[in-house]
Amino acid sequence: MGEFMAKYPNTRVITYDPVSAAALLAANEQSFGQRAIPSYHFDQADVIVSFNADFLGTWISPVEYARAYAKRRKITDKKMDNMSRHYQVESHMSLTGSNADNRILVKPSEQGAAICALYNEVAALTGAGSIGGPKVNDKAAASMKKVARELVNAKGKSLVVSASNNVAEQVIVNKINDLLGNINTTVDFGTLSYQRQGDERDMVRLIEEMKSGQVAIAIVWGANPAYELPNAVAFKEAFAKVNTRVSFSGVMDETTSLCTHAAPAHHSLESWGDVEPKEGHLSMIQPTIAPLFDTRQAELSLLMWADSPNLNLEDEQPYYQYLKSYWASDLFGRQNKYSTPTAFWDMSVHDGVFEMPASGRTVSFNGNVSSEGVSKPSGSAVEISCFETVNIGNGQYAHNPWLQEMPDPVNRSVWGNYLAIPVEWDGVNNINGWQNLTDGDHVDVTIGGKTLNCAVVRGFGQMPGTVSIALGQGREAGGCGVGYGVNVNPWLGMNGNLIQYYAGDVQVSDKPTSTDKNVPCVQHHHTMGVAVGKEEDGKPYFVDEHAIGYKGFAGALTDRSIIFQAHVNELPELGERMEKFHEEAGHLNQQTLYPDRSEFFGTGLHWGMYVDLNSCIGCGACQVACVSENNVPVVGKNEVARHHEMTWLRIDRYFYGDLENPKVVYQPMMCQHCETAPCENVCPVNATNHSMEGLNQMAYNRCIGTRYCANNCPYKVRRFNWLDYTTADLWPANEERVFHVSEDDKPFYADNLVRMVLNPDVTVRSRGVIEKCSFCVQRIQEGKLTAKKETRALADNDVRTACQTACPTGAITFGNLNNPDSEVNQKRNNAGAFAYQVLEEINTRPGVKYSAKIHNSNEELNS
Amino acid sequence: MSQAVAPVRHVLIEGDKSYHRITEDLVSPTEKAPTREWMIAFTIAAAFLGLYVFAIVWTVWKGIGEWGANRTINWAWDITNFVWWIGIGHAGTLISAILLLFRQRWRTGVNRAAEAMTIFAVMCAGQFPIFHMGRVWLAFFIAPFPNTRGPLWVNFNSPLLWDVFAISTYFSVSLLFWYTGLVPDLATVRDRATGFRRKMYETFSFGWTGSAKHWQRWESLSLILAGISTPLVLSVHTIVSFDFATSIIPGWHTTIFPPYFVAGAVFSGFAMVQTLMVITRKVLKLEEYITLNHIESMNKVIVLTGTIVGVAYLTELFIAWYSGYIYEQFAFYNRVFGIYWWAYFGMMFCNVVSPQLFWSRKIRRSIWWTFFLSIVVNIGMWFERFVIIATTLARDYLPSSWSYYRPTWVEISIFSGTIGLFFVLYLIFTRVAPVVAIAEIKSILKVAGSQYIGPNAKHQHGTESVKKQDESGH
Repeated sequence: MGEFMAKYPNTRVITYDPVSAAALLAANEQSFGQRAIPSYHFDQADVIVSFNADFLGTWISPVEYARAYAKRRKITDKKMDNMSRHYQVESHMSLTGSNADNRILVKPSEQGAAICALYNEVAALTGAGSIGGPKVNDKAAASMKKVARELVNAKGKSLVVSASNNVAEQVIVNKINDLLGNINTTVDFGTLSYQRQGDERDMVRLIEEMKSGQVAIAIVWGANPAYELPNAVAFKEAFAKVNTRVSFSGVMDETTSLCTHAAPAHHSLESWGDVEPKEGHLSMIQPTIAPLFDTRQAELSLLMWADSPNLNLEDEQPYYQYLKSYWASDLFGRQNKYSTPTAFWDMSVHDGVFEMPASGRTVSFNGNVSSEGVSKPSGSAVEISCFETVNIGNGQYAHNPWLQEMPDPVNRSVWGNYLAIPVEWDGVNNINGWQNLTDGDHVDVTIGGKTLNCAVVRGFGQMPGTVSIALGQGREAGGCGVGYGVNVNPWLGMNGNLIQYYAGDVQVSDKPTSTDKNVPCVQHHHTMGVAVGKEEDGKPYFVDEHAIGYKGFAGALTDRSIIFQAHVNELPELGERMEKFHEEAGHLNQQTLYPDRSEFFGTGLHWGMYVDLNSCIGCGACQVACVSENNVPVVGKNEVARHHEMTWLRIDRYFYGDLENPKVVYQPMMCQHCETAPCENVCPVNATNHSMEGLNQMAYNRCIGTRYCANNCPYKVRRFNWLDYTTADLWPANEERVFHVSEDDKPFYADNLVRMVLNPDVTVRSRGVIEKCSFCVQRIQEGKLTAKKETRALADNDVRTACQTACPTGAITFGNLNNPDSEVNQKRNNAGAFAYQVLEEINTRPGVKYSAKIHNSNEELNS
Repeated sequence: MSQAVAPVRHVLIEGDKSYHRITEDLVSPTEKAPTREWMIAFTIAAAFLGLYVFAIVWTVWKGIGEWGANRTINWAWDITNFVWWIGIGHAGTLISAILLLFRQRWRTGVNRAAEAMTIFAVMCAGQFPIFHMGRVWLAFFIAPFPNTRGPLWVNFNSPLLWDVFAISTYFSVSLLFWYTGLVPDLATVRDRATGFRRKMYETFSFGWTGSAKHWQRWESLSLILAGISTPLVLSVHTIVSFDFATSIIPGWHTTIFPPYFVAGAVFSGFAMVQTLMVITRKVLKLEEYITLNHIESMNKVIVLTGTIVGVAYLTELFIAWYSGYIYEQFAFYNRVFGIYWWAYFGMMFCNVVSPQLFWSRKIRRSIWWTFFLSIVVNIGMWFERFVIIATTLARDYLPSSWSYYRPTWVEISIFSGTIGLFFVLYLIFTRVAPVVAIAEIKSILKVAGSQYIGPNAKHQHGTESVKKQDESGH
């Protein structure tokens, strides 16, 4: 880039982020003199307050934060007094909010007021002056008082973050952290994060310049402003006035289709490169495959256009050589770990990352805080918040069918974005949506004169008087995501040229404009019984959707041995309750006709898993990893709506607690590999059976598809190939040889390019057979073979399942149960009575154990 | 009236029949050209059969995904229909075998048609387990035969495999039993036929001559087959109920299922017999063979079995409550008040409440009431299976997976198509074989030697029937 700019000095580089953190950058520059994002140490915080920042899902660096966050949520001992407490201030149930101990509900436009309220409370306790500011709702104000006291008690060990895109608000947040002594402890500027650098204010300026014809050439790289910007219409108009418009995009997206030249760049899996996401962390981009198409790496294009003297086009991989010499000439000198450039390069390529020593930089807060510039509550009856989802982002991943078919962690819907509406108990038999709308209804939503027809989903935990919808859908060009959902970016307003991800004055049509009977949602039953009031004896009165209506029958849901949960203060009671449960279940399970197979399973390998529900944040990475590892077919919106999804691993999400502000538990659910598997004895042809290593295995070739096993699975993890999803079926795939099928009519899995998505180690299943989680048997096999080749015994962690490797928080552990030292055994033993098998009392003897879900909510806030 | 009727025994067939009259009445439908009503009925049935073939081809070609079943409710209309048809197929064997053993001689009026109905119903039932398979072209995997795959055997633990054996055994025994009964009657038809028909019936009656030895062997075989089929009547539906009872799903996992299923099967079987008999006796003018007494007897069985089924329903509810086991309790709470509450109440009304009307002798002996209630019972029994299968699966252990089921046009077509298949077979049957067992009905004729017309007969009887015979030239 430098060389390109040297050659063409008029060049200007303008960066913006699909979802902006510009205000945070600006505020940090103002407060600390660093236009960068610090490292947030969620693992060092006893109390975390997040103002609408979805730091576990989408905010800045979610994987890093989630890993750190989960460290303080795991069951360590019988007391767990080290558990952090997490407050989330928001209006819609975000992924992070669903993991919070307490959610404080404020309308989207009240975020600034809430920040001011917290500041004033903290200031009062620490002796700083009040800044006044707009008033937040009474309930939230009362909560803030209590939160502030806790924060002050945890001075230096607390953390306040905000996703606000308002500079004044971010400065106040900085000051709160400063008052709490968090700067340089949990808010660490010693290692800066470079993951957000953009500023949409530059884009606004650029649009003006383009409009006035000052721009002759525009090169678009890694961005899609014609979709992502709220003022995309203005952008498109202005962009048309630029003479030469070049795009590096690999797909014909909204912006590329407006360009005069498309110079498709390599995919990142075909490219060499280096990046520095965090200060001092030099990470390598390495190709895993030779370029498939006639593309050229974007960096190479720029260098060639700049006639770079450092580039040798004679090389087989010119950019690789360029990069290598850059590391030798520039970066090598900045480190002292390796003595030769070759060693430095080779080891960095080998490790994938090179870490420089931390800068040790400390900062201090400078400047003033004031409530001036803080956004004021809009006062409108209905407000909307627009948020990024963990799978689609702001549309960057909308063309990836795996991600489109990954259910939204909270509303569990796929292929589109859905307007979440608040819910309430109708007093009889149903949890109704606001205005009596329900899942599958479509309504017209008008904001600022722009009307979109949105599908409705009942949003548990959605604040009354607010609605919410995800960004990133309604794509118009570029791939499979086209035509799903609505593009809500045009609804977003600007404040000081900074994008605001909410809006007031939302008009929703009273009656649904249409209703879909088939809702593309993978979970139609959302709760484990939620409390809507108190019975006469003072106990909470639990209700549920449909079928479990009336009083006195809540136990059938709340007492299911699927989830065990308790407050961290009630751990001893929970421990007793669970021990009693294990005892009862153990007693029941002895009353069996089955022969004792402990000898059979007790020798050699016996694979098992442990899923820590306290670490699980529900992000869904495991599910996508499983889909990609195991060639699980994508079935599309209509088939999901008909409950024909094929996912081997799903994340069940249950609401519990208070209906108005429910708690959430996520439960990754995959084949439990039961020792006495109900599926195995009902298969008439022995297509599913047990291996000596404790695996419940499927012989696809033998399966005739009676689906008896799927019916008899208490965990409902078996998946049937209802239709020819993979085109692997006997007839179409073989027609080619008989009828000479033309290229266009070829089944898509017969296409060599499409086939590259497949994992060659895993069979593609045909229509009419059952499939399910195999505990990644191909990986087990590979691990065993590797150990065999190296003539050694299989070591713990030689085999790691796909879900396990993908999990950012280490919630999933897999290993040999017969090895007392294996990680999985240690974790299971460590959790003691808190480790349980789902439906333990029905004697399926699953190979998977879960941990009880512990929360640390501040009960004062709920009273 | 010259019939020598014992005062303690009721007349089993009416109309003061002579042997010849019986032959005339029962064989003639196979000899005449089909009536217009028959043609219309056959056309409609054949149209439904065509629909069936189309829907099956559609399913096999496209996949089970064309049905409304889903990841939670993997069985729905398919197995509902299977159990329904199998249940219907119970009356025939019950009438032939158990009533034969119990010497309930009124059975002779209806046993032939009921047995035919059994066979056709089992054929309809058999369609579903076959075509509900995802890969029907590999259906032969369920047969235990020596093979080169190991050899790879079937899973003898699976109730589905037991089904295969139970149903195929039941079908073969019922078929044998039915055909054995047919042999003397086919011979009767043969004796009256000429030309090609005669050749056909000659083949099918296996050269029956009516010698005493034939009769003696025939009687023995009938008794043996009756002995074999008697346990089958109980076993088939017991084993079908094992599909559910041995599973782990609350609402299925119930020890009450075997007797409850058998009672239900007899119940629905008799209802279906009623439906068919009421029509058949009218259309084929057999009111004197299938009398109101038959209908009343069968209605008594219906009210008995319906009440047994009702007790079973209530027992289930009680046990669910008494078990103290939340999943079981919830399963039954859901069955009654859940998303499919209408199916449960439909079942309760049709199966338990409506048959109670038969306590009234007037209703029991009313053709219209019988016909109407037999249809109601059949609907109710269909609902029962649907309630057990779909409702239970829709709400099992994990609330996250709960779902709803609606049939698609394909499933509806397949089901109505099997009704078409059934009636095509039945209508053909009424055309080719006597629908009432001639030989057996003659054995219960309450006449003495008065009808004797042999060489030593004196013309002293002068009964109407003899006169009629004389007029007809015999």
